[in-house]
Amino acid sequence: MSEDETKNVAPQVIKPPMTLQAKVEKGGPGAVDLKALEKAESVIANLADEYLKWVQEDFLRLEKAFNVLKSGEGDVTQNLDNIFQIAHDMKGQGGSFGYDLMTAIGDQLCRLVEKMTKAGPREQEMIRVHIDAMRVIITKNLKGDGGNEGRQLLMGLQLVSGKL
Amino acid sequence: MTGYNLSRLNFLIVDDNKHMRALVKSILHALGVKNVLEAADGADAFKELRHFPADIIICDWNMSPLDGMDFVRMVRTGSDSPNPFVPIIMLTGHTEMNRVTEARDTGVHEFLAKPISAKKLYTRVRSIIENPRPFVRAGIYFGPDRRRQENPNYNGKERRKDDTVEEQMDEAAGEMSQDEINALLEG
Repeated sequence: MSEDETKNVAPQVIKPPMTLQAKVEKGGPGAVDLKALEKAESVIANLADEYLKWVQEDFLRLEKAFNVLKSGEGDVTQNLDNIFQIAHDMKGQGGSFGYDLMTAIGDQLCRLVEKMTKAGPREQEMIRVHIDAMRVIITKNLKGDGGNEGRQLLMGLQLVSGKL
Repeated sequence: MTGYNLSRLNFLIVDDNKHMRALVKSILHALGVKNVLEAADGADAFKELRHFPADIIICDWNMSPLDGMDFVRMVRTGSDSPNPFVPIIMLTGHTEMNRVTEARDTGVHEFLAKPISAKKLYTRVRSIIENPRPFVRAGIYFGPDRRRQENPNYNGKERRKDDTVEEQMDEAAGEMSQDEINALLEG
């Protein structure tokens, strides 16, 4: 059916099979309660050590993508998008493990890179300071909002981004 | 708090980032889920669905070659889809308003903004269990009913008759928090 033909068909409401509901019970042993939720949160906290290893892999990928951008080889839009994708991953992970500033700076790097239409020395420098700031967060183990140091870092980066 | 026993549910996690998959899987196991299958992209996930009876899919947006939205479209409207009704939770760092509405209009059940937590994930699963929604085929849309609340006094335009994706989409205006996303989806 073409899109135009589809539009002329009256809306249909369909009741899907309740297979999922038939498989879950409320309460009883094994049901999710506050204790289970706390346990699940502590599992995440225990994975934080693993995260510190994972994030080093992300930094390697990010440096590699940054070096390609700097070299001027290939398509600049694609090179910028590669950086965006890695920063986007790091943004999603940081806060999940308590590194909220990684999420904030990762997000800022994404917003910055998506605005760029070229990658001259000025743009490269802007990206560089964001990568370095993310490294500082991990090196100094700045969890949460990073306190005063973290807020200043973020404010400085916002000033840099505002210049684009 | 009386919660649900999730041990009999099958979850499919679709994310190209193995660390994020490991995180989501660990949370699900801690919540008592036994059966979790992972897939690294949309095409892989679609293949897995042919023999894995997923009860809930948790899907990332940014993947290649087939991204999360392509995957959702294939599941909902593909002629060879093994289960067009399967509940899908879109897990993503994209929290701009136009992205949230795009996900809703492609047929996802729930939207979970990264960074994630066990509580946030469980809340979305609970919502799927407690609020089973009928499916609607209207215009080019096929997916769970996007109206989560019935309003008997509604006397506005009947939007389903000429439903298009574009009609529902307002221009993005900045990023949204999970609470704002919930308000938008439930409004």
